[in-house]
Amino acid sequence: MLRAAYRIAWKDVVGDFRRRSTLSAMLFFAIAVLVVFQAAFEPDRQEANRLLPGLLWVTVLFTSLVGLGRVFQAEEEDAAFEGLLLSPMPRGVLYLGKWWGNLFLTLLVEILLLPCMLVLFNVDAWDRLHVILGILVLGTLGLTGLGVLLAALTQAARSRETLLALLLLPLVVPLLIAGVQATGIALTQNGNMLPWLQLLVIFDVVYLSMAPWGFGWLVEE
Amino acid sequence: MINFLARIQKYVGGVALLLLLVGLYLVINAPPDFQQGNSVRIMFIHVPSAQMALFLYLVMTGASVLYLWKRYETADIIAEAAAPVGAAFSVVTLATGSIWGKPMWGAWWAWDARLTSMLVLLIIYVGVMAMRSALDEPAKGAKATAILTLVGAVDLPIIHFSVVWWRTLHQPSSFAGKVKPAIAGPLLTPLLIMALAFAIMAAYLVILKTKNVADQRRLDALDSEGTGHV
Repeated sequence: MLRAAYRIAWKDVVGDFRRRSTLSAMLFFAIAVLVVFQAAFEPDRQEANRLLPGLLWVTVLFTSLVGLGRVFQAEEEDAAFEGLLLSPMPRGVLYLGKWWGNLFLTLLVEILLLPCMLVLFNVDAWDRLHVILGILVLGTLGLTGLGVLLAALTQAARSRETLLALLLLPLVVPLLIAGVQATGIALTQNGNMLPWLQLLVIFDVVYLSMAPWGFGWLVEE
Repeated sequence: MINFLARIQKYVGGVALLLLLVGLYLVINAPPDFQQGNSVRIMFIHVPSAQMALFLYLVMTGASVLYLWKRYETADIIAEAAAPVGAAFSVVTLATGSIWGKPMWGAWWAWDARLTSMLVLLIIYVGVMAMRSALDEPAKGAKATAILTLVGAVDLPIIHFSVVWWRTLHQPSSFAGKVKPAIAGPLLTPLLIMALAFAIMAAYLVILKTKNVADQRRLDALDSEGTGHV
């Protein structure tokens, strides 16, 4: 069962590596966002420390929008999505496969992005890199989980990229608040991170248990 | 169902109008608050419209569940009709809140828990409406909108919970404050009447919109059945 999901994710990731499309688009988009932030805020060392959590999560959020806009791109041509639906597996597994593919790419971008960000903004937090990465992973589970469902909802829509952003941004507000607060606490080492981590876990659990059903309802005929 | 709603429409409208007039009369004659002075009067619009903004999302969620489960078209029509009315009530809530906030807090806006949640609720309403209009196939649009409404319904408590944790500056709720009764009798009666008036007004607006949506769908069906040219 999970093998089928794994095959779908594998197909998406390998296809993406061969074309180098989504991954590089996300990565360069993220770097472009960083340049824009630097130009807009010009933070000095102290400000950079304060701004970093917010900048990090906003960059991740925008970048994931780029990735999510392309989750179902491979299935658009030649009725490939119908082909996928015809395959003998539960719809939830199909969702799982698409989610894993997107999750993998997004995590990869984040792992590359975080060191870039520390270097570009001159923030000395190398000893806490693993903590921040852990928070990022926790947030990305829910972000991509909800995002892939929304991508499926908006797949056939007119001006779908705008619609996806309009839907995703308000819905991930809790995730953003919790992620930024937890990252801030990890940077300053001042305060209790636990409630924010709990909030991230709640968000993840709620959406990852709901999204497969939603996806199933959407694609059933 | 739709025919029944159309039949009771004018009575509902009449009752709403009557209650609103009685409520406004009571509001105008209520004594000013000892701390907030006359500014307190805006609360009689603010609180009922906030309640309706939230309640109509519940209605929309219920209708969406019913549609996904049983595929009643009426449920989908009601869900479609409730969205703009709920969005309008959220706008009224935000606007009256800002007008009240300027003299009370010294600022039009504060990013406190309930303001933030209400603003996010408005964006979700707009998102739900945008979702429906963005899909060409009505049946697909209805399904996607219903699923999105459920996603939003699950998210709203989490949003509220997270922004409460994040910051709180708002005065405690008027109906369920820590000190009971938080609101004195002479102000409570007009508030309850206004709440009832707003509930019936919301029902009236949803009925109007439901009829409108149902007619629109019949028209679209005729269009596509017709000779082929639009």
